[in-house]
Amino acid sequence: MRRDRDRGDARIRRFSRLRVAEHWGIILSTLVLFATGLCQRFWNLEMSQWFILNMGGIDNVRLVHRYAGVVFFLQLFSNVAVAAAGVARGKWEASMFVTRKDLSDAIQNMKYYFGLHDRPAQCDRYDYMEKFEYWTILVGGLLMVVTGAILWFPILVTRFLPGEVIPTAKALHSNEAMLIFVINALWHILNAVFSPEGFPLDTCIFTGYLSRERMAREHPLELARIEGGAGPEQPEEERKETVGMPVAKPESVV
Amino acid sequence: MIKGKGLGLSVVALAMLAVAASAGQAREEDLSAQARQCLRCHAKEGIQATFQDGDSVPARLIPEAYRASVHGVLDCTACHASYSPKEHAKRQFRSRERFRAEMTSACRGCHSSDQLRAKTVHSGFLDRKGKDGAPACADCHEAHSMAAVSGGKVFSGEKQYCMSCHRYDMEMVCRNKEKIPLKVNLSELESFAHDRLRCSDCHYGFSQEEHPKRTFRSRRDYTVASSESCRRCHFDKYTKTLDSVHYAILSQGNLKAPVCNDCHGGHGIARVTHGIKGRVLTTQKCRKCHEGIYGIYAGSVHGKALLSEQNQDVPICIDCHTAHDIQNPLTLDYHERIPQMCGNCHANPSVVAKYGLSTDVLKTYLADFHGVTLGFYKKQREKLYKPARPIAVCTDCHGTHNIATTASSDPALVKANLMKRCQKCHRDANEQFPSAWLFHYKPSPSKYPMIFLVDAGYRIFLPIMVVGLVLQVLLHVWRYAVNR
Repeated sequence: MRRDRDRGDARIRRFSRLRVAEHWGIILSTLVLFATGLCQRFWNLEMSQWFILNMGGIDNVRLVHRYAGVVFFLQLFSNVAVAAAGVARGKWEASMFVTRKDLSDAIQNMKYYFGLHDRPAQCDRYDYMEKFEYWTILVGGLLMVVTGAILWFPILVTRFLPGEVIPTAKALHSNEAMLIFVINALWHILNAVFSPEGFPLDTCIFTGYLSRERMAREHPLELARIEGGAGPEQPEEERKETVGMPVAKPESVV
Repeated sequence: MIKGKGLGLSVVALAMLAVAASAGQAREEDLSAQARQCLRCHAKEGIQATFQDGDSVPARLIPEAYRASVHGVLDCTACHASYSPKEHAKRQFRSRERFRAEMTSACRGCHSSDQLRAKTVHSGFLDRKGKDGAPACADCHEAHSMAAVSGGKVFSGEKQYCMSCHRYDMEMVCRNKEKIPLKVNLSELESFAHDRLRCSDCHYGFSQEEHPKRTFRSRRDYTVASSESCRRCHFDKYTKTLDSVHYAILSQGNLKAPVCNDCHGGHGIARVTHGIKGRVLTTQKCRKCHEGIYGIYAGSVHGKALLSEQNQDVPICIDCHTAHDIQNPLTLDYHERIPQMCGNCHANPSVVAKYGLSTDVLKTYLADFHGVTLGFYKKQREKLYKPARPIAVCTDCHGTHNIATTASSDPALVKANLMKRCQKCHRDANEQFPSAWLFHYKPSPSKYPMIFLVDAGYRIFLPIMVVGLVLQVLLHVWRYAVNR
């Protein structure tokens, strides 16, 4: 935690450099995967054909896509491995697991949006939307890795599994890609830009810091824990006027 | 001239010589006294000469025509030596042929063989002297009204002029001793597509004035050379043939390569018809050289339907190979065009729907791995000049000329055959591997339900997700704005 009281604000370290680098890695590998994958999914579009021909042909595009997939898999693997090791060694809490509170938070926020509740949900380190994003990219990503590997090595796979697995894997790979694209590329990026709290760009995942003011609004329980068990500093009246949870958070890693 | 032929000829020759000396003057004079005497009877309508076999010929001649002819100054006995006024009543020929032969001999009494041979048009006849079907002089030159050879036009049209000789059995002998028949069947010529053409439209260089002597090394040489004349009218087709594999072979010196005449014929050129008869006939043209492939085709689902059911929907040779710009089917370029060729019918509901065949075959192929790759390889070759490897197309699994119906095939056998085909490119493919291909089926609850469910699930889930996420953003922004 770093405070700069002279400048009238306080910033709290939310993500380590490793997490910032990890996010950059995911950005780059998914950008390559989406570019080289979507042009194959929508191969008959003029734009796709232009892209593929400029990449030097379909074989090049497939090659880049496959090796970008390998990089992506290594990123997922390292993320899970580091998180699991951290939790096992007691260094971090298992804060990304979905709990019953996430469901009640979601319901409370819905009520709050429609004016049926007087305040938004009080979230801890990761709110339910952040968890949703994380798990969609982790589970979806693993599904992409597995189905991608099946499509890469169809002959090996059919030694152990029936041939129908290949077109099924293709259907899953192609559909799941669209889901991840919608959730994590379009929705996630739009939120990081257009969220009222973060506009014009939520920079937290790039700098690693979040202002204390936003921490208090968006992650009050975590802030309280950081500040030694003390309750939220904001007066109750002020809290009521603010939005309780962030929608636009580029964090997608633990 | 039946009796004392030599004497008769001498008499005629002497008479001709005598006449020739004063020909210019004689032509102005009236007919000879003898001719006038003969014409007393022979100018009458209906007079006939009857042969011993009962056959007869008209024996009338028109005095004016005879007087105007080059022989108008001659006595009748100059040619008809045996018909002296005294002998007339007793003279009777055995038959018409005998009479023709005698009359021809009479002509040759004055017109020597050397003189006749100087004209190429005669040389063929001289060689056939005495054989059946050899023409007599009077067939072309008329008996009593022959004109002078220079400028003498006695025929109403070129075709009649040419046919006056070419209706007879004649032959042209090539340098390799092969013989080319020169007899033309006029009725055949006139019942086909070129009935309005003149002979010289195709046989250029030949006319009523010109008949150049040409010799060819072989009969094939003649056929190849004569096909050159087609381009004068059919230039579009000719330029197409220049791009064909047949022309490529021909230009390498292989005269066995087919030329226009081989498929279309010489004089009996048929009109192009698109009916079943025309289609069957077309396959027979190709069969002339490609007998083996024709046999395979005839046993295929397409060939059987064409030949035994007279089905017009099935493809014939030229539907895939084209008629004139026939490409080498072993090139990559040709290989890449095969899905489109098959798709011309198999993606066309008006052709295949009535046989219960799916029209999705082309779409399902093009959307799958092989189809997409093939499409890009084609573009890469055109735009990036990038060499491509062959990708499996329709014919690789279904066969080319031996395409069988899939309806009665045993699925296990199909898969076993398919595995062998897969192994050509995917060497380690096992018996499970062909099932990775959906056999042109679109996933449905009954066919490939797993894939159908995956697609359907995402089709439902994805829009719900999008709507939910967008609502979440909008509600958040809305609440933020309201609270401010």
